[in-house]
Amino acid sequence: MNHNWAQLPERGNLAALRLIHWITLHIGRPAGRALLYPITLYFLLTATAARRGSQRYLRRVLGRAPRLREVFRHIHCFAATILDRVYFLSGRLDRFEVRFFNEQLILDQAASGQGCILLGSHLGSFEALRTLGVTANHFPIKILMNTAHNQGMTRYLSALNPTLAETIIPIDGGPDTLLKVQESVSQGFMVGVLGDRVVPGERTVQCRFFGQDTLFPAGPLLLAALAGCPVILFFGLYRGGNRYDAHFERLADRIDLDRRRRQEQLGKWAQRYADRLAHYARIAPYNWFNFYDYWEEDAP
Amino acid sequence: MEALSPFELEVARLLVETLHLEEVQPEAVQPEEALFGEGLGLDSIDALELALAIAKTYGFQLRAEDQNNRRIFASLRALSQHIAQQRTR
Repeated sequence: MNHNWAQLPERGNLAALRLIHWITLHIGRPAGRALLYPITLYFLLTATAARRGSQRYLRRVLGRAPRLREVFRHIHCFAATILDRVYFLSGRLDRFEVRFFNEQLILDQAASGQGCILLGSHLGSFEALRTLGVTANHFPIKILMNTAHNQGMTRYLSALNPTLAETIIPIDGGPDTLLKVQESVSQGFMVGVLGDRVVPGERTVQCRFFGQDTLFPAGPLLLAALAGCPVILFFGLYRGGNRYDAHFERLADRIDLDRRRRQEQLGKWAQRYADRLAHYARIAPYNWFNFYDYWEEDAP
Repeated sequence: MEALSPFELEVARLLVETLHLEEVQPEAVQPEEALFGEGLGLDSIDALELALAIAKTYGFQLRAEDQNNRRIFASLRALSQHIAQQRTR
């Protein structure tokens, strides 16, 4: 199994991130955005594994061998959303034009007072939801986050918005991590979980994804089943310039699992998730922020 | 091999039954052996299932904020002691 994502592409770019955020805040977003071009070029030339990951993904989503400028565009899209995090985290949402799709679903869920799992992915920006939800709408949102592999970045981003940092439930390897999630859901929180990256030792479920058997984490669905709560899908797609699209979809009102057929039933729910993920990846192909050997094509 | 107390055996049965550990005999669980990671090899999802089963059976909630959770979940013995102290039924 491939876990290179723990090093990629966050690897060593904290210094670059600080610099670009400083420039963005003190000189302006256009200046910060202008810098994205040389930075993207630098990563395109030096981050070999990330480039290969991008090429392999683009080949699947575009259905042909990608051109180098498409790989450039892919890395650039990622860099642009990282840049925008500084605005999202510092609450300067007025600069962005965010279109909501099926917004009523999330408004109704918030109004109901019932907790739920917000199942997202590394397609696009989850930050958009966190900030819009917490800062602008006061939705009761928490997010389950793997902070261990990237502590420097986590500390840096937390310092930008301490209130938002308090909404993180860290995955710290303790036995009670999911107990915290379940407790939050039962208190009426919407808990954001990213469902497209497998952590070593985690339970998995196999789906067809871009024409290949692919392992997805089983945790988010098992969690929803145990908590007896709805699962809402979220995709925050970056559409260039200052535009973001936020999509909400209901995956399940609740997930009932029968012990004997658990893996098979999980597989069906995970497949629905994988299908929607592929759907949105086709709508916004450059939003795929898993720059590693996702389909384990290097595996022996 | 160390013998389990009657209550430890009861908790071991709940654990094996809840988590469907088909290859584990409740009598054979070592009371001081780690439940998570090494030892029985349980994970965070098992911990949640177990916490829900304990709430149902013994009438109290394991709290996520409890600083002692690592210790409580450390072994069958530690877990049994905690349940014995906290149970309301």
